[in-house]
Amino acid sequence: MTRRALLIALLIVVLAAFASAQAKTPGVIAIINARIIPVVGGEIPKGTILIKDGLIAAIGADIDVPPGAEVVDATGLRAYPGMIDGYSSLGLVEVSGVAATVDNRETGRINPQARALEAIRYDSMHIPIARSNGITAAVVAPAGGLVSGVSCLLRLDGWTNRAMSVKAAAAMHIELPGIRGGRGGFGGGRGAPQVRADGPALLAELKELFKSARAYEKRRDAAAKNRLLALPEYNETYECLLPLLKGEMPAMISVHSERDIRAAIVFVRDENLKAVFFGVEQGFKAADELSKAGIPVVLGSLYDLPPVWEDGYDALFRNPGLLAKAGVKIAFSSSSASAAKDLPYHAAKAAAFGLDKTEALKAVTINTAEIFGVDKTMGSLEKGKAANIVLADNDILEHRTNIRKVYIDGREADLSSRYTELLEKFKKR
Amino acid sequence: MKHSRRVSSLLILSCITALALAAGPPAGDVGPTYAIRNCRIVPVAGPAVEKGTIIIRDGLIEALGPVDKVRVPDDAEVVEAEGLIAYPGLVSAFSNLFLEQPARPEGQTAPFEVEAQVQPAAGEDRFPPGPGLLVLDQLKPKKAALESFHKAGFTTVLVAPTRGIFQGQSVLLNLNGEPLGPMVLRNGAALHINFTTERGGYPSSLMGTIAHIRQSFIDAEYYAARQAQYAKGPAGLKRPEYDPRLEALVPFVRDRKPVVFQCNNLEDIKRALKIVGEFKLNALLAGANEAWRVADVLKKTPIPLLVSLDFRPPATSMYMTQGEELRKKAEAEIYPANAAALAKEGIAFALVSAANADGGAILRNVRTAIKAGLPKDVALRALTIQPARYLGLDRELGSLEPGKIANVVLVKGEIFDDNAQVAKAFVDGVLFKYAEVSK
Amino acid sequence: MRKPALPCLLGLCLLTAAALPAFADRGDLLIKNGTILTVTKGVIAKGDVLVIGGIIKQIGENIAAPAGVRVVDAAGRFVLPGIIDSHTHIALAGTNEGSEAITPEADVGTVINADDTSILTALSGGVTMVHTMHGSANPIGGPNVVLKTKWGRPSEELVVREALPTLKFALGENVKQSGRTVQPGQTQRYPATRMGANAIIRREFQKARNYMEQWDRYNKAAAAKNPPKNLVPPRQDLRLEVLAELLRGNMVARCHSYQATETLEFMELAKEFGFKIACFEHIWEGYKIADELAAAKIGISVFADSWAYKMEAAEGIAYDAGYCAKRGVLVSINSDSGERIRRLFNDAAKTMKYGGLSEEEALKLITINPAIQLGVDRIVGSLEVGKQGDIAIFNEHPMSAYTRCDMTIIEGDVYFDRDLVLKEREEAAKKAAAPRGEGGVS
Repeated sequence: MTRRALLIALLIVVLAAFASAQAKTPGVIAIINARIIPVVGGEIPKGTILIKDGLIAAIGADIDVPPGAEVVDATGLRAYPGMIDGYSSLGLVEVSGVAATVDNRETGRINPQARALEAIRYDSMHIPIARSNGITAAVVAPAGGLVSGVSCLLRLDGWTNRAMSVKAAAAMHIELPGIRGGRGGFGGGRGAPQVRADGPALLAELKELFKSARAYEKRRDAAAKNRLLALPEYNETYECLLPLLKGEMPAMISVHSERDIRAAIVFVRDENLKAVFFGVEQGFKAADELSKAGIPVVLGSLYDLPPVWEDGYDALFRNPGLLAKAGVKIAFSSSSASAAKDLPYHAAKAAAFGLDKTEALKAVTINTAEIFGVDKTMGSLEKGKAANIVLADNDILEHRTNIRKVYIDGREADLSSRYTELLEKFKKR
Repeated sequence: MKHSRRVSSLLILSCITALALAAGPPAGDVGPTYAIRNCRIVPVAGPAVEKGTIIIRDGLIEALGPVDKVRVPDDAEVVEAEGLIAYPGLVSAFSNLFLEQPARPEGQTAPFEVEAQVQPAAGEDRFPPGPGLLVLDQLKPKKAALESFHKAGFTTVLVAPTRGIFQGQSVLLNLNGEPLGPMVLRNGAALHINFTTERGGYPSSLMGTIAHIRQSFIDAEYYAARQAQYAKGPAGLKRPEYDPRLEALVPFVRDRKPVVFQCNNLEDIKRALKIVGEFKLNALLAGANEAWRVADVLKKTPIPLLVSLDFRPPATSMYMTQGEELRKKAEAEIYPANAAALAKEGIAFALVSAANADGGAILRNVRTAIKAGLPKDVALRALTIQPARYLGLDRELGSLEPGKIANVVLVKGEIFDDNAQVAKAFVDGVLFKYAEVSK
Repeated sequence: MRKPALPCLLGLCLLTAAALPAFADRGDLLIKNGTILTVTKGVIAKGDVLVIGGIIKQIGENIAAPAGVRVVDAAGRFVLPGIIDSHTHIALAGTNEGSEAITPEADVGTVINADDTSILTALSGGVTMVHTMHGSANPIGGPNVVLKTKWGRPSEELVVREALPTLKFALGENVKQSGRTVQPGQTQRYPATRMGANAIIRREFQKARNYMEQWDRYNKAAAAKNPPKNLVPPRQDLRLEVLAELLRGNMVARCHSYQATETLEFMELAKEFGFKIACFEHIWEGYKIADELAAAKIGISVFADSWAYKMEAAEGIAYDAGYCAKRGVLVSINSDSGERIRRLFNDAAKTMKYGGLSEEEALKLITINPAIQLGVDRIVGSLEVGKQGDIAIFNEHPMSAYTRCDMTIIEGDVYFDRDLVLKEREEAAKKAAAPRGEGGVS
């Protein structure tokens, strides 16, 4: 080469280096060499995901990495969609035995006015722990009474509760009693466990309540149109129930026994409600009805003894598989705050007892997104959806798997937590 | 007629003398002499007599045997008993008769359960449980209760205390009427211990109770030893301090007075046997409705069993916690067959009425046990001579034999038949008539 | 052969079981073609385990089946030692003598309840042995007992007599009864602080020392050639007897503690009175004092990650077990729950992520480690010739989240067989669906 050419080459190299140091396209990340499990669509053994403006801009085996993108080499890692918890108390419960830190149970029976989002402690120590295990979104629900309140769906990253909100109102929560026997079936309870008569009786009570709420709405609307009519007194309960009755949010009904499940199916049909059932421990006994009615199911924690001996020692473990086989859309939940990170392991436990492994993965990602109406933005790795991506060194449902990176809305999330802080502190002794 | 006048005056004189003599009997009515005639007799102590006579005098059986062999005394009132069967009055070696029981809420299991019954508040208790309590002091005899037992054929009962761990001492009663005093056969018959817990105090757990029972017997032995040592030579020895509780326990641990352990499940039987062995107690086991499950242990270490006729299984039994089907089978078939199973194993036992105060219900339970395979003759022995033997009363009760106390029941039909009715009962020779009650 | 472990065994069988003699050829079993996880001597990819008379006689490849011995085909499955739960409260009629603070005379061994269906739950999770204990209501609770989960056998047959006698202690919030409000008219039970908890334990040990001294003097005097007149023996006190046994070294302490300070202070007490601590239970702050624990050769028995239910558990990190293990502490994972007992293998697997333990190290936490802590490692805890045939068969590697227990064997007898359970379920369903059926089970 001539000396002049050399000088030009040197200049180009220098300029290029300077350019690359400056011209890093903000927010563009390219995850390369990943084994991609998109959940919707087939697995890509070795592919690329491009993140831009918080969304998945492109995904596939043959994607060109734009210049200036931040490149993340995911060789040896799998890329999953961030998992979604179908029911938790994240941010509402810190130390369960210390009442002052517990905010998920309002007093009284009828509390449609209670809104979980407004009480979320966004810097709860439990949120980073769940996030660092690949959970990027969660339904956070109030509990207790007959009508517990309104849950929200959160992204597990953000500096304020409102900033974390994906859906301020995810569902209206209704709770029917558990199957009596509690620890009974397998814990040595007394005599025959009976389902309390309250299930259908409570639904009847709700029917009346809804009727009154609708009547109230009519009077209110009539008075709004005609000033000569008396304006009814503001009724908080009815007002807060109306969005449910008008179909603006689903009812999430905690229901457990076979008898109550059937009664609840009839109830939601009669009341014309959008519904998702929660808990559903004896769902496998009414699987066909649930499937026909098109009611999705969020399962409660599988870590409970079967309340009825006759259902078998593995009842809660095989329930999800049987429901899925009957065509019911299922999703898993942690039903917890301190054990929220265990979401994937409930799915794996169900897979150990008959649920198809791919179904199990769907039940912690896309199914949950669909049930809560956020499947346009999350639940799978597809172009146009939010870049909620988890890079893991193994199957995300396995206990041994290490999560290397988590992206929420395209931002790399902090994987440190109370666990890691304390560990690091005492390692330094 | 000078001769006849002399005879008449002699007669009058002898009558006056006889009357004079007769006028000074010992305190208490002598009572009529009875001759029960023409009935079938089941003496238990020997073969049945198809058509026989029983002579009752002074509250005792004077004679019994076939009609043609037994002479009816001149002063006897004849009780025509054709078509009836005479049995020894039944003995319940464990009851709560005449005790005012607080009503048990619906659905609670047998009183032999470890659950504490409704207790009086502390300080309100006139009869706090403890080894010194004499249940006799608590009894309130009622005619209706007495009749209910008579109509079920029972003439002798042990009444046991009901509360606490060291519950107190029972009393043996012969159900001869309403006044309590004349009924008492023996006060302080046995010490009763239950595997339960103290309400609101120590011990509040079963393991605490077991330790407490053992420590109590250890302390009683120690107490007796210190007293004996002091009695032998007090000089130089610190005077042993009086302790009413230990004082009450000493006869049972030093002198082998009987102790009854209430066993609510199979484990209690084993627990009781361990304690009995450790302190060489003279013991009986009551309740024991799971005895069939430890038949091999009972064969190795025989002990008198007072088997409850209450068949409700303990709530913690594995038969109650493995689904509806097994639970129903346990209540209907398995537990009622307890006595039958013991009989099959050749294990001796008595049957007891336990907390049941309803005579009809008690007999129903006997019939259930028989239907479940208990031989009728074993059932009869378990309600007569066997409990009498266990209670140390077999020289005077438990069978129909001359010399024994006149406790006889005359039954229309066989005593354990569905339609059997007690027509008459004799207790200490006192006659009780019961109108024929139509079903 | 009767199968005493079936969940739906009809009572009539058991009715006669009490009368029948012991099994004729008891404890003989050949497991073939499985992946053998011995825990202490590596993995055999495709191997057999032969149990005769309840003892492992052979482990290897291609073992021929002796005549009359049942063969279990474990092809495609994993064969591991029966899991040991070193902290439970199952199979007992009561766990706490809470009315007083110091109750070592209360012995759980006197209240074993072999009818507890939690035993079946344990069997369904591959658990063959449990250390079932006092609860944590007392600074000094009492003796515990080690049982095998032999469902259907009489209670005395469950007791593992080879185990080290253990004495339960407890510190912290449960003992202080922090969560309880004192009713009007009642006094709060002493101790109500951690200061009092330590003081009361120290006091009781002093009393025990005194008691031992009294008996010592008496025994010497009574044995003398001319014993003094009026010699009065001390009163035999069951409570102090148990503490004396601990001080003599015939028992070891198992202490429920959470915080670092109370743990260190209890270690000081042990030094002061010369007794041995085998294990700290739960000890969520163990990672803060891992080196002290390792140096003192004291083990820990902990959860994987059940935390944040009390203040003293609010710094309980999931790295506790794994980190302490890596620092040389003998760690076991326990359940302390009649439900979690069937998922111990899942909990152990978590230490692979939180702590970086290998598959084999994680498996040790629920097999050989608890065996060593309980003093039964000569007879159980690993698959070795000469040890008892306590074995579990899983369909996937026990550290996989997709695994489940298919069979649980104790001393060569099958106590849990999932195939049998499924068969019975099928038959029950058929019976319920039959036209003349007795109403089924809904």
